[in-house]
Amino acid sequence: MGLASIGRNAIALGLLLAVSVGLHAQSPDESDAKPEYSRKGADSCIACHEDAETLAIFKTKHAVPTDERSPFGHGQLQCEACHGPGGAHAARVRRGEERPSVIEFGSHEETPVDVQNGMCIDCHTSDVGFGWHGGPHESNSVACADCHTSHAPKDAVLQTSTQPEVCFDCHQSVRGETLKAFSHPFFEGKMGCSDCHSPHGATVDTQLVRQTVNETCYDCHAEKRGPYLWEHAPVTEDCGTCHTPHGSIHPGMLVKRAPLLCQSCHSQAGHPSLPQDERGLPSATPSQYLLGQSCLNCHEQVHGSNHPSGSKLMR
Amino acid sequence: MSTFAAQLNRFLLAALVCGVSVPVFAAAPVDTSKWTCEYCPFEDGYRGDYDVGVTGVSDDSAYFGDASGYDESGAYINIDGDGSYKSENQQISWTLEDLGLDSRFAEIEGGNQGAYDYRIAYREIPRRRFFTTESIFRETGSAELSLPSGWVRAPNTAGFSALDSSLVGRNIESDRSIFEIGGRYLQSKNISFSADFSRQERDGVDIFGGPFFFQSSLLPGQIDYTTDAVDLGVQYSAESGYLAFGWRLSEFDNDNLSLRWENPFTNGFGADSGELSQAPDNTFQQLSLSGAYRVAQLRTVLGFSAAAGRLEQNDTLLPYTTNAGLGAGALPVSSLDARVNTTNLALTANSYITSRATVRASFRYDERDNRTQQLVWTRAITDSFLSGESETNTPYSYERSNFSLSGEYELFDSLRASAGYDYKQMDRDNQEVSEQTENGGWGRLRWQANSALAIDARGGASQRTNDFYDETLAGSLGQNPLLRKYNLAYRYRTYGEVTATVAPYESPFSLTLNGFYAEDDYGRSTIGLLNGDDLSLNADLGWAASETVSVYLSGGYQNIESTQAGSEQFAAPDWTATNDDTFYTLGAGLRIREIADKLDLQLDYTRSDGTSEIDVDSASGGFSQLPDLTSTLDYLRLKLAYRYSDRTEITTRLVYQSFSADDWALQGVEPATIPNVLSLGAEPYDDDQFIVGIGFRYRIGEAAAASE
Repeated sequence: MGLASIGRNAIALGLLLAVSVGLHAQSPDESDAKPEYSRKGADSCIACHEDAETLAIFKTKHAVPTDERSPFGHGQLQCEACHGPGGAHAARVRRGEERPSVIEFGSHEETPVDVQNGMCIDCHTSDVGFGWHGGPHESNSVACADCHTSHAPKDAVLQTSTQPEVCFDCHQSVRGETLKAFSHPFFEGKMGCSDCHSPHGATVDTQLVRQTVNETCYDCHAEKRGPYLWEHAPVTEDCGTCHTPHGSIHPGMLVKRAPLLCQSCHSQAGHPSLPQDERGLPSATPSQYLLGQSCLNCHEQVHGSNHPSGSKLMR
Repeated sequence: MSTFAAQLNRFLLAALVCGVSVPVFAAAPVDTSKWTCEYCPFEDGYRGDYDVGVTGVSDDSAYFGDASGYDESGAYINIDGDGSYKSENQQISWTLEDLGLDSRFAEIEGGNQGAYDYRIAYREIPRRRFFTTESIFRETGSAELSLPSGWVRAPNTAGFSALDSSLVGRNIESDRSIFEIGGRYLQSKNISFSADFSRQERDGVDIFGGPFFFQSSLLPGQIDYTTDAVDLGVQYSAESGYLAFGWRLSEFDNDNLSLRWENPFTNGFGADSGELSQAPDNTFQQLSLSGAYRVAQLRTVLGFSAAAGRLEQNDTLLPYTTNAGLGAGALPVSSLDARVNTTNLALTANSYITSRATVRASFRYDERDNRTQQLVWTRAITDSFLSGESETNTPYSYERSNFSLSGEYELFDSLRASAGYDYKQMDRDNQEVSEQTENGGWGRLRWQANSALAIDARGGASQRTNDFYDETLAGSLGQNPLLRKYNLAYRYRTYGEVTATVAPYESPFSLTLNGFYAEDDYGRSTIGLLNGDDLSLNADLGWAASETVSVYLSGGYQNIESTQAGSEQFAAPDWTATNDDTFYTLGAGLRIREIADKLDLQLDYTRSDGTSEIDVDSASGGFSQLPDLTSTLDYLRLKLAYRYSDRTEITTRLVYQSFSADDWALQGVEPATIPNVLSLGAEPYDDDQFIVGIGFRYRIGEAAAASE
């Protein structure tokens, strides 16, 4: 196996790509009747679409004449850069005849989502446009306009304080988790989903902004990064082994209460393996293994210790 | 390397099935030279929208002050606003939030769009944990806690005769501030350079556990962290693809190497003081290269990302003990020179084979290679006595590979079916399981029944297996040989999810229902986690009653259950414990705009209710049910905005919020309740707050759009 096998498969992949090129070159799928643009561009559109909500586009980054990449940049297609050729839409229609539509945005609009998104991705290339392909949002047929309001001077999904509510429209269960007693400050509007997630696509599970779960957490919690003299093995792999980042009903956003969480992995003879129950409550015999910080009353350095005497994570 | 080659080979095999498509929009050519945009109301000049107000808060609250800044009763000045200035070649915008609070935020963005841009931002986030805590310790330095004068040591907390007179209130709170500055320069339409710098500081007081053998004190210790990060990048992008190269540096600096404290107990070993290590300074650097290429003729997008990083830590090591009487030996090194290399690689292929069929393949490889030297150490046990044993530090490394292949086919215009296969492999050093694999499959149907109803159903299963669970290694760590750690154990997982969306075209109603269920079976574990399941149900209802009135209602339910087993006899399992966590949420709201053309109203109510029930059944104690852990949040907010003129608005805000919890870990646990732990006496939250605010908003320049 090894390199020879890899080579064979690489050659086969190349052949398949070549054959596919040939097949697609034969696709006679294009019509000669191409849609036409309006005669006056945006001035044609504004004649009818003069409401404040529509005209707010001129307060946004999409309407900067000096930026040649902008839809309203010099020589660009203005409204039709996004809404497609509007010649037929802007032309006179006979009484009783339905006005031909242009490209409209949002999952509930008639324009297919991939056509809508194609208009955005045509300009928003780079990591945004290319990352989109194959990501969970694309495969769930999410339209760019489901999250973005391109005509608004302040797009809610781009503001930390309002972003989570946009995401929660679809991610309902996450909204619930953020309302648990212990959570990151989403409810207070001080943290957004994009602080950790890259919604336009990433190659990491759950589309994280960094290469791994831990690297993402270390953006704000660099003190946990170590590397420590005495490491706690699961901590080095995945913070999610013990923590649930959207929220928990347990302090520290833990997946369950200590000592049971710790006892899922620690069974040494003596106190680690003892069941902790009502007998350890203040009304009986108050137990250092159950009350207060539980295991962390002593094994404080649960993320790792850099103390030469810290092998038991007590220093 | 052989593992990596095998994964790469699997990826290439998968890529063989890839095909093609990205829609290309075709239109007749157009001459835009006469598109003058005569009626386009481009924004020019200065615009601002500022809100100045006063807010009164009824009660102190750590819970509600956390992150919000409303932690103390009294009056707060609120200053919020945003604005912009635009000229032909310059655009600047700014945002101000909560300037009068400890949660303030300010941001300036600007530049010459299409040529360069920049951003400067500053944010503070207060962390408030407990206002009910008390401690006997006095700070004699940023990293040193001393006993109060007149303290009388005793072997247990009942003997602390000077406790009551020594306790002083000590809030557990800290403040985080984040400063960011960065910019981007577009050298051409295709090439851009970026540079960003951020500094995060966090200082305050956190809880540390300070043990001396079988006694411990919870310590209110100072923390003082600074993290600097620099990101430099260059990107080339074109219609057919992009390539991005980046360098990231993140440097963590802790002003406190340790926390020293005096032992309030008599422990018989002469250990009158101890020293904990705090998080060491560290540096992480990473080079990354990523890109994608669209093979238009094949309707395929190929993507990749690769990163190589190095994490280093060489902070000064503390001595084995501060107890000179123990005669501890010299350290093998004065600093560890710890080093971890990280490697990440990802390859993706997405092919739109036909207008109805899509195939996706991805491969990902992550490696953490801990190159820290292994040395022999002779531990002093909690500054009390020498262990007399030699120990070698264990650096942990892993290689993780994920491969997935999936396809989707549009069976009918209204029905799409997809299926996928996922393979994961984890190779670890120095742990009970060295090679772990997980195979999973899933299927999904998406049915657009009509223009109003869509149903999405998916389900799958995965099996995680190990080559071998090393009981000898586990035994060397003192573990029961029957234990299977739950992140290493055999696991069979099944899950399913159904989402139904009812949203008739141009109807004022929308309804979304979602149900999710997952079950984990650790069927080959005798001690440790045995099983777990998670059920959640959610519903959202929206109703736009008119152009100016809308209502929403949302509700959620979640139940997480798990069972685990243990052995107090260090033999076969003789106790089990079940966790049963239940959580409800309810949200409701009303929006009315333009009442008499003057007044906007916003009313929101949120309730969340969590309960955790823990039962323990043991040979020694029989069946035992711990008191329920509960937490209940009520939040009611009314906001009114009255437009006095085109430029002025008066805003009012009324909030009532209540949070209460029952927590057996804290309830009734006074500083001296646990005989061998001097605690901080933290109490479960029971906080109510009324917030009343009135503000005056003034708009300068052109009024902001209603859509904001």
